[in-house]
Parts: sequence; C-alpha cells; structure tokens
Amino acid sequence: MVVVEIINGPLIPFPSNDDRNQDGAELTFNGRVRDTEYEKAIDALEYEQYQGMAEVELTELAKEICQKFPISDLFCKHRMGRVGIGETSLHVSIWSQHRKEAIEAMDFFIFELKKRVPIWKWAILPDGTKVPSDCAH
Amino acid sequence: MIKVKIKCFSQVKYALGKNEIIMDLENGSTTLDLEQMIREQGKDKLNDVSLRVAVNQKYVQNGIELKDGDEVAFIPPVQGG
Repeated sequence: MVVVEIINGPLIPFPSNDDRNQDGAELTFNGRVRDTEYEKAIDALEYEQYQGMAEVELTELAKEICQKFPISDLFCKHRMGRVGIGETSLHVSIWSQHRKEAIEAMDFFIFELKKRVPIWKWAILPDGTKVPSDCAH
Repeated sequence: MIKVKIKCFSQVKYALGKNEIIMDLENGSTTLDLEQMIREQGKDKLNDVSLRVAVNQKYVQNGIELKDGDEVAFIPPVQGG
C-alpha cells in the first residue's frame, strides 16, 4: 500500500507501528533543511509544486517502488511552502520483511523523486530575497 | 489560431517573472516552437537550463503538436526532498 501526502504547514510524522508482525524492518527517512545552499547562508527554503502533477507523479513513483522491491508499504509526506532551517521537508516510511529491501527501496525512491516529481526549492536569503535554489542533492 | 496556457515554475518563473502565460499560436505549432519563444522571452536567463516538457500535466516527448486549450509546462530540473 502507498500513502502520499503533499502538505502545507508542519509535518506530522507517520507513527511507528508495533502491530506489523510480518515486517522485521521499519525504515524512516527525514529530509531536513540545512542552513546553507552551496555554502551560502539561507534563512529558509520555500517549496513549490506543479499542483496536481506533483501528487500524481509521486503516487505513481511510490506504486512503482512497491512493485520493484519486495516491501510491504511506502508512506510519504512532502511539505510545500516555507520550511525553516532544521525542519523536515520530506518524510518517508517503508516497512518490509527484512532491512535490505527497505534500504534499497528508500534510496531508489528518493533518487527518482529528485529526478521526476515536479517540486522545486527556492532559497530565502538573509536579506529576504527569494531565488531558485541551485541545489539538486 | 490556438490558445494555450503555459505554467511557469522555478527558473522559468524567475526568468519570465510570471506564474502563468496565455499565448495564441499558429495552428500546427509544437512544443519545440513554444520552447523557443519561452527561451527568447527569458533572454539569457534560461540559456543553461535544461527543460522537460509536460502537456496537460504529463511528461511528453518534446516536439508534439499542440491543441487548443492545452496546458504546457517547461519543467526545469526538479529538486524535491
């Protein structure tokens, strides 16, 4: 099963789940906003999406990952709008029988997300100006 | 003539200073024709920016013929996460 949410405002993580008797691995990734972009200080990032297409692409990608890797479930939340330094912008949880497939699925999911899901970052600079981020890591 | 809507994001929005543009095009115009117009409008700001194209919210091969009412986005490198 996949769950995909693109949200404005604070991100509440998916709860850990003690009832998954068949899954030996529960892997969580939190992507957080750093205080620099290419070694220049920033105040925050502002995330922008192609409304509609971003959620469709993210959901299709999550389903592809569930078919490609032997995992049980993949849940994902991505924030939009202004995200402050240290805050979580991307939260992903994957459950699987063993750890290896969850780790591989997580890496591939995030790699593909950064290639094809139409979401972008704008850097908010200390003087208040907003410029497209150069960072694609 | 056909009328298309262009959605602008990230570097394209920055270069053109607009979120959205409505444009009249000759019948038979393609996404490549439109990309050339967008790059000209962006002056030099889009010179080094690779753009994928989406029509009606789906990635397509660049060069397809546009239809009246299409929504087009020239998608700079994405940066989610």
